Amino acid sequence: MKWIPQDIETYLNAKEYVDTAVIPIYSISFEDEMKQSASASEFISLLTNQIERQFTGRLLLFPPFTYLKNENSEKVLNDLLTWEENIVKGDFKHIFYITSNIEWKAHEEKLGGALIWLPSLLLEQMSESQKVEMINSQVKQLLILFTQKWQE
Amino acid sequence: MSKERVSRRQFLSYTLTGVGGFMAAGMLMPMVRFAVDPVLKAEAGGDFIPTPKKMSEITKEPVRVDFKFKQKDAWYESEVTETAWVYKDDNGKIIALSPVCKHLGCTVNWNTDKEHPNQFFCPCHYGRYTKDGTNVPNTPPLAPLDVYPYKEKDGYLYLGKAKPRKEA
Repeated sequence: MKWIPQDIETYLNAKEYVDTAVIPIYSISFEDEMKQSASASEFISLLTNQIERQFTGRLLLFPPFTYLKNENSEKVLNDLLTWEENIVKGDFKHIFYITSNIEWKAHEEKLGGALIWLPSLLLEQMSESQKVEMINSQVKQLLILFTQKWQE
Repeated sequence: MSKERVSRRQFLSYTLTGVGGFMAAGMLMPMVRFAVDPVLKAEAGGDFIPTPKKMSEITKEPVRVDFKFKQKDAWYESEVTETAWVYKDDNGKIIALSPVCKHLGCTVNWNTDKEHPNQFFCPCHYGRYTKDGTNVPNTPPLAPLDVYPYKEKDGYLYLGKAKPRKEA
């Protein structure tokens, strides 16, 4: 389910079936890194949308957690932990963070949810069909991760 | 040869009936059209979307067919990819099922549950459907999978809008 009114309504009526939260994470930077930041954001949102399509009925795709790249990383981490705290309170058993920013790997231990890190692909040089194929093959592998987590 | 003479009175009354008839028809026609509008609406034949699947390639084993079309969402026109599970049934009839689980909308897969082979399986809440799309009792889905109407054109499969079926 997506963060849109219709889906949230379905969610509220079927809460007991939706136990997974997916949170895309990407940073915003300026100047030289601006483009890189934009392509990471495109990649992550295409990917998470595709995952949502597969598992519509069991997960809620949250709006992305965004932050400024040059912000203090302690502060950013604490912000995310506050998100996590609230999401857990909202009855989500499984939380997945999806990012292409390697820095999050260092904080993996401190997070209660599972962190999935994927190197961002340069999608802008690809044709539409290549893009879809690329994302789909990545998603296919991630789906296994999700089903494994559910079976634990 | 007797010549019927048309009197002035007759001529005028003919003309008036004629013109009046036209006027009445001109007024009534649109009204009738409004009244029976749904009947006149062209059967949504233009809504069939081409898929990359050749009719001759369809076998008895369900395969995934992805097809794309443009969808307008408020101001934003986007390309949407939809999927269908397509196969031929025992009578050689083509069946195209929607992969959207009738429980909460996950995407179902064919033959992925080892314990229940040859069924459609939803990984989210373990919903199952038999090959013809009928929901297996005592699994979460409460209705059979939607069916796409199909058409053949130039050897390729065209799919319409998926329609729900009656409860099994």
